[in-house]
Amino acid sequence: MKRDSHRWKWILVSPALVVLILAASGPLLIVAVYSVLSPGNMGGVAWDFSTEAWFRVFFKRDIFDPETVTLNADHLAVFQRTLWLSFQTTLICAALGFPTAWFIATRPVNRRMVWLFLITVPFWTNLLIRTFAIQELIRNTGTVNTVLVWLGLIREPVDLMYTDFAVLLGMSYVFLPLMVLPLYAAMDKLDFRLVEAGYDLYASRLQVLWHVILPLVKPGFIAGSILVFIPSIGAYVTPRVLGGGRSMMMGNLIGLQFGQGRNWPLGSALAMVLLVIVVVALIFYLRITTRETGGRDGRH
Amino acid sequence: MADGAQQSGNEIEIKAVSKVFGLGAAAFHALTEIDLTIRTGEFFTLLGPSGCGKTTLLRVIAGFEHPSSGQLRIKGQDVVGQAPNRRLVNTVFQNYALFPHMTVAQNIGFGLKMLGRPRSEIDATTSEMLHLVKMEAMAMRKPAELSGGQQQRVALARALAPRPRVLLLDEPLSALDLKLRKEMQTELKRLQVETGITFVFVTHDQEEALTMSDRLAVMNKGRILQLGSPHDIYHAPKERFVADFIGETNFLSLTVSAVAGGCAELVLPGGRTVSARIAEGVLPAKGETVSAVIRPEQAQLVEAGTGDLSATVDGSVFFGTDTHIHLTLEDSQSFTVRRQNTVGQADPARGARVGLALMPGALQVLRG
Repeated sequence: MKRDSHRWKWILVSPALVVLILAASGPLLIVAVYSVLSPGNMGGVAWDFSTEAWFRVFFKRDIFDPETVTLNADHLAVFQRTLWLSFQTTLICAALGFPTAWFIATRPVNRRMVWLFLITVPFWTNLLIRTFAIQELIRNTGTVNTVLVWLGLIREPVDLMYTDFAVLLGMSYVFLPLMVLPLYAAMDKLDFRLVEAGYDLYASRLQVLWHVILPLVKPGFIAGSILVFIPSIGAYVTPRVLGGGRSMMMGNLIGLQFGQGRNWPLGSALAMVLLVIVVVALIFYLRITTRETGGRDGRH
Repeated sequence: MADGAQQSGNEIEIKAVSKVFGLGAAAFHALTEIDLTIRTGEFFTLLGPSGCGKTTLLRVIAGFEHPSSGQLRIKGQDVVGQAPNRRLVNTVFQNYALFPHMTVAQNIGFGLKMLGRPRSEIDATTSEMLHLVKMEAMAMRKPAELSGGQQQRVALARALAPRPRVLLLDEPLSALDLKLRKEMQTELKRLQVETGITFVFVTHDQEEALTMSDRLAVMNKGRILQLGSPHDIYHAPKERFVADFIGETNFLSLTVSAVAGGCAELVLPGGRTVSARIAEGVLPAKGETVSAVIRPEQAQLVEAGTGDLSATVDGSVFFGTDTHIHLTLEDSQSFTVRRQNTVGQADPARGARVGLALMPGALQVLRG
């Protein structure tokens, strides 16, 4: 009887499992297979096994002498920039998100919903439009440069577009709400009597922040960091519009292979590399953050 | 460690402190013109129903709230406007407010760490405090792994570790079950005597207030109604609220036949007169009807036709150590007598006629 009901459970969840397996693993499998095939003439793939794509992810051959192999410095620079910009974006979002979330969490309950609602307002506008709006602000004849020149602070417009700074600015702006919301959720659960207890036991404001508040909202930081870091690594639109060809990220490099590059196997191999980077970064991150809170549940 | 124990004098002086929350028509007067002096080394209790302002007063002393007007001195020093982390006062919070991410030992050492004391001193004091509250075995546990009573002990140890001048306790026992609460009452009293620290204890439990305090203040609606020793408050309540809030009381509406030398002669139902004490500040006039109180254990059942009053038995309730006998007097006022139980004693039958003897000097005329 018990075994029967157990079997029924599996039958009942099987449609969901099938969808999950097909939707998650299917595309991944296709990408993995494509990465070990040869590029087709007009895009697509030719069904010949080849490790050339994987080779070209990391190395390149001299045009005149195919036997001379060097590291693919361009790709490695893109990997490095992607990781570094994503890391910085996460830091900036955390630094701006904390006071924002704190502000909301300390409003009267009935007004918090209004502030949270306002945080989500940017999502109403298409990402591309918002990114072009940033471009309008920072381009050579844009708002920032015009005002600075008019004020006499600079003589000539500063090149802000197509720099790492532009990409960083755009990504921080786009992903900030993803940090604010989980941080707010953590602060909402924060027992403010603990803050009072901190003050009562001679802690200054800064000490209360450091010893009481930050450790308690850490789960919010962890969730927010993951939510910001992962889409940052895979960002496409923001670096495309604000970084152009000079500040390319992995998403753009992959996009290039499927478009103008007409090298689907290389694009697939790069996509697999991106996936590995995300997984490794996540494991690494969770390791360090849970080691510090490891004692939370003590010896259970 | 009892450096403050033998000092006499005033630890906390509160003068005309008021606290108003909100503005205009929505203003809530949490405290109105509170005058209070708490002596060094005493166990002082603020007693009152919820919403009476006792917790607000405690928070004003701790520094979490600032008085709207009035003066507050701790050991002679004006502390109005001073932040909580600058006051040598520690609080035991109602729900303990232990830091969930720290061990028991880290919680206890937190105050000293924030004061910048050396590691060796923090460790020494922490183990001393763990010993004091008998929690040595739990030093490395997290608060979530402790029972309510254990958390309570850690909260106490944490507040005592920096050796504050004053320890504020905000209904610390209200979350515990009855047996544990009794244990902790004894424990708290022991700690207060051992450390010699001034305790300011907030509770709505009148029994807790009577058994633990050196002195207590009964509060209602933001005011202190009466201040005194548990004995004074119980035996000589000044007004109806105090008499009603603390213990059980019989209220009688009686006519004054004479006033002489701080005593009033009251006419009882049935015609006999009896002498009653008069609460401070009350001036009853001859012929006036006043409210008088007498505790249920201060009257005795006697044979019908004898005693000060005659009454009819309405029923009785057995409480183990004693029995409450509910009576109706001749003028249909109700009266309850508490009788100590002895083996084989029969309860009076319902409807029986009995006499009632009042203990001399037990009746008290109330204010208002």
